[in-house]
Amino acid sequence: METQIGIILAVMVFAYALAKWRNFSIELSMLFAAVAGGAAGALYNTPPPGQIFRHLVEGSFTYLDVILVFSTATIFMAIVSESGGVNYVVRSIIKHFYNIRFIALLLLMIIILIPGALTGAGSVSLLVVGAPVALALGYLGIDKRRVAAILFIVAGLSAAAPPVNIWAMILSAGTAIPYVGFELPLGIPVLLLGIFTVLFLGWKNEGTLDKQKVLEDMPEVPEKMSWWRVLLPFLVFFGLVVAYRIWPFATPIFGLALEFSIAGLVALLVSPKKIHILKLSSETMKRLLPLLATMVVVGMLQQIMTATGVRGLLSFAVISTPLVLLFIALIFIIPISEGVLTYGGAAIIGIPLIWFLDSIGLHATVAIAGLSLLWPLGDGLPPTALIGRLSVMVSGYKGTYWTFLKKTWVPWVVITIVGILMVLFSARLDFLVKWSM
Amino acid sequence: MIKQMKMSRLWIIKLTLIVFLAAIISLAGYQLYTHRHFQVPLITGPGVTKVVKLSEYSPGIKGTMADTNVFFLEGSEEGGKILILANTHANEPAALLTALLFIENAVVDKGTMIIIPMFNNSAGRNTRPGDGYPLYFEIPTKWGSKKFRMGNRDASPLDQWPDPDVYVHYPDKQLLSFLDVRNTNRTWPGRAKGPLMERVTFGAMEIMRKENVDIAIDIHGAETMFPVTNCIVAPEKSMRIAVMTTLTVKSREHFDSHVEPSPSGFRGLSHREIGDYADTFPFLLEAPIPFLDQPTGPKTVDLLLDGKDPFLLSLSKKGKLFVPYDEEGWSMEKRVGQHCSVTLEIMSQYSKKNPDRTIRISSVPRYADVLKNGVGYYYHDPNKTDKKNIIYN
Repeated sequence: METQIGIILAVMVFAYALAKWRNFSIELSMLFAAVAGGAAGALYNTPPPGQIFRHLVEGSFTYLDVILVFSTATIFMAIVSESGGVNYVVRSIIKHFYNIRFIALLLLMIIILIPGALTGAGSVSLLVVGAPVALALGYLGIDKRRVAAILFIVAGLSAAAPPVNIWAMILSAGTAIPYVGFELPLGIPVLLLGIFTVLFLGWKNEGTLDKQKVLEDMPEVPEKMSWWRVLLPFLVFFGLVVAYRIWPFATPIFGLALEFSIAGLVALLVSPKKIHILKLSSETMKRLLPLLATMVVVGMLQQIMTATGVRGLLSFAVISTPLVLLFIALIFIIPISEGVLTYGGAAIIGIPLIWFLDSIGLHATVAIAGLSLLWPLGDGLPPTALIGRLSVMVSGYKGTYWTFLKKTWVPWVVITIVGILMVLFSARLDFLVKWSM
Repeated sequence: MIKQMKMSRLWIIKLTLIVFLAAIISLAGYQLYTHRHFQVPLITGPGVTKVVKLSEYSPGIKGTMADTNVFFLEGSEEGGKILILANTHANEPAALLTALLFIENAVVDKGTMIIIPMFNNSAGRNTRPGDGYPLYFEIPTKWGSKKFRMGNRDASPLDQWPDPDVYVHYPDKQLLSFLDVRNTNRTWPGRAKGPLMERVTFGAMEIMRKENVDIAIDIHGAETMFPVTNCIVAPEKSMRIAVMTTLTVKSREHFDSHVEPSPSGFRGLSHREIGDYADTFPFLLEAPIPFLDQPTGPKTVDLLLDGKDPFLLSLSKKGKLFVPYDEEGWSMEKRVGQHCSVTLEIMSQYSKKNPDRTIRISSVPRYADVLKNGVGYYYHDPNKTDKKNIIYN
């Protein structure tokens, strides 16, 4: 069976490489890999030939909810931006904190952390507050490459931050460990690593402009724009999110997509200038299309990999690695699995891994918290590179993707060390879980 | 002119792709639609006295895909009552096969047996995107084969959607994964007007409260790499009976099924909430199902039925599984046989301790019988069965 699966894997890799060589996009190349893998698998009846199309279509629905959230969140933010709200916020931050750099950086970091912490998706942080924060960082004299790097790392940390950490939730659900006691094991490292990142990447001021000049250079804001017009849509959104937490049995379940849609409607109603919503939505969706296509195709790829046994082979390779080697390998395996499979990586590798770590006496909750610091790093790695691509998009960085990614290496290494140490010393850190409960 | 030709060529390519895509989606859509609406004939055996809908106990699910059949097998003598739940997770099919084996064969002499074979009916009609499951599996019988839907762990989003960003458990407010809002082993004890799956578990709680059910057994399957596998999960109140059951099946029938304590801090599970919110003694049975393990070969029907996998065998030799595993795998017969014997033994142990609430049944095979004859041996041919004894689900 190993040979059979090895051949299927080789066919998939070859199809991907061939498509890339013919200059097809990442999404189309992955699609070719999935179709080729399915066809190769069908030769062995894994899956049966009559089921290949069903597997492809079914797999394309794996991340439907995530796609809906991306779409509605981006349209919501596009409305806020079009109304002049983004420029208004940036202008205010510069006006009040331009000369108090530490506080300005700290505030901007917290602003990025909040949406991701509440929703479990770093991409939501970038879609909701990424653009204004990127502008503010730019006006603080930070070049676009470092801005993109800050956004990527902090947005990733926001996804790992409590109360909602989807990797930890998937692992908890899959290993029957209650999703409780994560507040301190996740909250403390996220805050410390976030502060380190914004100071390391953002402390140096490369700008030559003084505060007055910066304010003059900034885009005009509609005359009637005010704080309540900017804040009201966000208050509605966070209000809906928080309402379910506070009164869970009296609040209907709206889901993030509808919550963003309602907030978007409010933003549209309070906008001081007229917005052509259909045109704006259409342009936004066009911009978002490559990202959405990636999510669709990753789901297909994941389904074919499972049906053919390729996913099992990869999971087997990880689990059967000797312990010392495994800890070293985790540094690479965890981010790469996220880059290839997004949240699927946590299920395929993470669940058996946590059972194994638990069985050798490590503390499962702290180990999950440690590992879930590493997973968001993979959101900067191809083929998906979800948060990485969004960071580049909202920061307006025009250089190559790899030059952006290289800028993140120091925080990346620090986060990796912290995450691995948390796993290794999880048994000694169990007091963090007790203090959280 | 050249530009126009290029444009029209591009349009032809685009149109061809659209037509091709539409054909693929239609074909796959038809397969998925057929799966969702495929009806399994459930044959009522000599012990079945009535079949009602779960919505009689939880009106909030009436008319939805969550509504499901509840089989009553009432004895001639009054005694204790047992509730058996299967397909709480519809991707752990040994539970359903065990429940049907009871429904088709059991004769109740004393007490009452209540069986819900497709507890999460919506999940039984759902697939698992990303996980490459087969849509159906077939069990060989004396008269051909009996075909079943392969379901999912969670209810279909077609029946309950959207999910919250995080599921807040009722009534403890513990935060659970957003997916667990559709998982009927996280939504206990449920609410009459909560999300659909909370209404399903509420219905079962109502059965236990209104019918004065003594024992509830929730049948599952678990990965060989999961520590809580091949076991009986029991809270404090059920522990004594669980331990006696384990010891008895080990000594008399020579198979292991150890006892795991139900964690008091983990909410929403049947073995925790049933005991806390009703007078019933809950038990959750787990038998190993290699198909659900992550490091396996292709997810085929063969793997589902015989449980043989080379990767798991290799991991077993490295001591990384929580159950003994050899070239024989972990077959469906073994799983169903274990569930039958453990269920019968729990009833027996409970009856010994509570003679006035005895539950006595006959004609149900035990572990060795199922291993010898196979599961399908105990299913009856729907074509030779009186139509009034067939319920489609």
